[in-house]
Amino acid sequence: MPNQENILPPPTRPLSAPWRIRIEAHFERFGRFVFRHHWKILLAIVAVVIGCGSGLPKLSLDTSTEGFLHPQDPTLSVYNEFREQFGREELILVAVTGPDIFAPEFLARLRDLHQAIEAETPHLEDITSLVNVRNTRGEGGTLRVEELLQRWPDGGASLDQIRTQAMGSALYRNMILSEDATTTALVIRSSAFSSEGVEFSVDDVLAGLEGDTTDEATDTLIGGFDEAPGEGASTGAAAPAGQRVVLSDAENSELVRAVQSVIDRFDRDGFSIRLAGSPVILDDLKRSMETNLPRFTIISLCTISLLLALMFRRLSGVLLPLAVVILSLLSTLGLMGHLGMSIKLPTQILPSFLLAVGVGASVHILAIFYRYLDQGNGSRESIAFTLGHSGLAIVMTSLTTAAGLASFAGSPVAPISDLGFAATIGVLIALIFTLVMLPALLALIRIKSVTRSPRSARGTVIDRLFTWVTDFSIDRSGGVLALSVLLTVAGISGAAMVQFGHNPLEWFPDDEPIYQNTMFIDQQLKGGGVAEVVVDTGRENGLYEPAVMKELDRLATELYGYQDPDLFVGKIFSLSDMLKEINQALNNNQSEAYAIPKDRELIAQEFLLFENSGSDDLEDVVDSRFQKTRVTVKVPWADTIAYARLTAYLETHFNAAFEGVASIQVTGLAALFGRILRASIQSMQQSYVIAALVITLMMILLIGDLRIGLVSMMPNLLPIVLVMGYLGWAGIQLDMFNMLVGSIALGLAVDDTVHFMHNYRRYYHLSGDVRQAVRETLLSTGRAMAVTTMVLATGFYTYTLADMNNLILFGALTGSAIVIALVANFLLAPALMHQLHKRRITA
Amino acid sequence: MKRSFFSLTLVMTAAAGLLFAPAASALNAREIMQRVDARDDGDNGTATMEMILLDKKGNERRRTLRTFSKDQGDDRYRLMFFMEPADVRGTGFLTYDYDDPAVDDDQWLYLPALAKTRRIAAADKSGSFMGSDFNYADMTRKDLDLYTYELLKELTVAERRAWVIQAVPTSPQEIDQSGYTRSLLFVDQATFLVLRAIHWMKEGGGRMKYLDASSHIEQVDGIWVARHMTMTTKQGKTTLHRTTLRFKQMGFGQDLDEGLFTVRRLEQGL
Repeated sequence: MPNQENILPPPTRPLSAPWRIRIEAHFERFGRFVFRHHWKILLAIVAVVIGCGSGLPKLSLDTSTEGFLHPQDPTLSVYNEFREQFGREELILVAVTGPDIFAPEFLARLRDLHQAIEAETPHLEDITSLVNVRNTRGEGGTLRVEELLQRWPDGGASLDQIRTQAMGSALYRNMILSEDATTTALVIRSSAFSSEGVEFSVDDVLAGLEGDTTDEATDTLIGGFDEAPGEGASTGAAAPAGQRVVLSDAENSELVRAVQSVIDRFDRDGFSIRLAGSPVILDDLKRSMETNLPRFTIISLCTISLLLALMFRRLSGVLLPLAVVILSLLSTLGLMGHLGMSIKLPTQILPSFLLAVGVGASVHILAIFYRYLDQGNGSRESIAFTLGHSGLAIVMTSLTTAAGLASFAGSPVAPISDLGFAATIGVLIALIFTLVMLPALLALIRIKSVTRSPRSARGTVIDRLFTWVTDFSIDRSGGVLALSVLLTVAGISGAAMVQFGHNPLEWFPDDEPIYQNTMFIDQQLKGGGVAEVVVDTGRENGLYEPAVMKELDRLATELYGYQDPDLFVGKIFSLSDMLKEINQALNNNQSEAYAIPKDRELIAQEFLLFENSGSDDLEDVVDSRFQKTRVTVKVPWADTIAYARLTAYLETHFNAAFEGVASIQVTGLAALFGRILRASIQSMQQSYVIAALVITLMMILLIGDLRIGLVSMMPNLLPIVLVMGYLGWAGIQLDMFNMLVGSIALGLAVDDTVHFMHNYRRYYHLSGDVRQAVRETLLSTGRAMAVTTMVLATGFYTYTLADMNNLILFGALTGSAIVIALVANFLLAPALMHQLHKRRITA
Repeated sequence: MKRSFFSLTLVMTAAAGLLFAPAASALNAREIMQRVDARDDGDNGTATMEMILLDKKGNERRRTLRTFSKDQGDDRYRLMFFMEPADVRGTGFLTYDYDDPAVDDDQWLYLPALAKTRRIAAADKSGSFMGSDFNYADMTRKDLDLYTYELLKELTVAERRAWVIQAVPTSPQEIDQSGYTRSLLFVDQATFLVLRAIHWMKEGGGRMKYLDASSHIEQVDGIWVARHMTMTTKQGKTTLHRTTLRFKQMGFGQDLDEGLFTVRRLEQGL
């Protein structure tokens, strides 16, 4: 059994291929350089950290759905165009249940709740409830278009009338009133656009009126009178102004939290309130991020510290790697802030990920450094030797990890490409800090060597284990290979069954209020999500055509019969409904008059009447030229894949119905989710292929042998295949979160292989014997590989403590993949080398 | 509820006699607004009103109406018929705008395609007038007691000296009715016309409306009128929508019979 002395050969001893010797020599020289100039280097690093870190205050959180797509994504352009025309389509639903909705005290409380929300909620566009919902009806020769509770009921008779009207209204059903009339809803729409920087006070205006004339002053400040009225006004476009800024994620949260605080005041027995809708889900995701982000950063730091303390049993062994990773993290996050990137759902894993990854390289440096130092060498030589020994391997492992992450950078899913970009930069920053700052700090604090007798005893146990592992993997190489092949086959057949899907609601635990409330509202009010279809006739007054209105009406009826295992159509809002409503009211409420008029002129006149009735509801569904209209399809919360099916159905059916008459665009949250799903699948395929190719290429370059390079990828790919296989066999969907596992795990798993192969080649070159080379490899870097794996795996396993299902699964899968990778590198890699060697000899 | 389609034109008119008003500096904000409110705005008026609606993308939509109005004591009767577009030609509105704020206006609508008249009872006064940027409240004479007024400064608008007066509704009800949380009014010192106005909309989110009536001020039959008026709805610096009203063939003191302002006449069309 080799002792520590012969584990670490003298620095100048030729061990490997000449090019590698030259590189190692460069690293040694670099180590001495760092030692000499450690003060200057540390000052430069402090400057870099301050420069990057100053971007930290600019870093924001963003959980918005549209944040998942790049700004230039065509689906997002259609969505933004829709919002520009019709406003934000996402609904916030406040469902209220009580023993009798039409009881006077219930209605009074509902009115108070309605008014409180209206008064206290920022960024509110519109709130509709039984209090103010449109009530269109004919009474004798009078047409009434008013709010349902405009005239407050004074007693039994008028209450009964309201109940009858409400229960009989097709408009209210499943929008603000459940079919069994036990639940009523307040439907809240937020502003589509940010109010930041657009609110002018009287003082702002007056400040613009400096001097003695308004003509230029007002124009430059607010542009209110930016065109000469009269002739000019009628010919010029009304809106030369550019794109408005959409409602920010922070504003969405302000709104949701304001509604929540009002609800908390009103919720009581007999008036029970539930809040749901996609803006609420987004805010809850954000809240969970706000708690998880610091929590897991701290947990990661603690576990890493603990493991470092256990491994090195030196204060410097804990503090130095921590300094490297913490400063790398701060610099990366600060750089993200400078670049205007925000932390989105997938990027929230970044801090703990960088901590776990960054510490790995430091461990490899310190393991060699302390050992060489403890052998009685000075700091300067120890640093030089360490960098010469491990510098190349550390650069290669960082580059392979970066390659795994960079494969995400081109993703059509914005936060995933952000993650790819930021994590790649983070890994590279950590690499530079590890190679430059860590040695500079070691030079600065001049660590003393320690002689540890117990350590060698412990080392013997571990050494014995590594020797056993070496013998086992080589003696049973056939069995190891057979088992690996078996596992690979099982993994691949499982992976073939993997289904794609994305459903952020399922990330919440079942007992979370948002989960419960969404389920309740989906059941009682038939959904809180929407798909939108824009029907554009391409000409002014195109919607007056009876054929167009009839087709809209027919499609709406047909849509109620939409069949899907995971989705139903709960409610449809269409211009044709408003037309039927007004036609019926004009014809003394006769039920047969709830129909589309046959005459184009009558349709035009009825809409004119509606426009002039004091209700602005028409603005929400049709443009001012009556050229295009929206059809809103209210659906329950469902998996993205169900939304994708619905979107495809809507596209097909509306296009078929309006072929040659109108153009169709399907948008809204459902369409966005559909797009995100397609983009994710594309992204995943892309990044897995890129990561595998780039990393394979790097392995071949590092090893300098095509065959061995290719074979060495097997222990790396096995963990990914097994994880995917597990998902397939367990019937777990591959979503935006767990799809990250593959590339990240590949990037990390390959680190072990790089260290293994790097050392194996060194020792094989020396001895020409596989068994000895493997044993010496495991004895020299095996411990560091095991420790880094423990650190990384623990870093990911800490996510299993999260309250969000997606984080739990992500942590468990990535942690397991890394552990599997270590086992594969300890058992499969030696077996493969042995088999390869045998064949070479036979050949 | 007070509502009138023509009040706006009337708000914009002023009796020639007011040109001999006392020196400007002697008036406070409230007094100025009383002058604005108290003008003789003409009687037995007729006009052709062209309404030009412009959306964000510059798409234009035109409507033309022929209008008639007659004072009946403090109340005002109005009749208007759509002439364009063709789909709605002949559609008519008859309105009795009562001075007493406690009494709801009467309004009848005649749809030629249905050959029927319906009385309309609509509630929301802050709602759009015919899909334009003007709302019903813009068309209504304000009850001065429902506002506090403050004279902020004097300046020149379209070569006319004007007071800038801030008007703030004193009750949430009035905010609901008018649709505005506050307004700045630019009042012509010579004619007591409101030349321009800036309204803060109750919906918030930076939404404001800008009225400009300063460009075509003329005397018609001895009464000052703004022939062109533009109301622009903006959010911040972004224009959301714009409406221009142009009045042609205006006349006052016409021979308008009371029988013109009846449902029977409404149903006969133009």
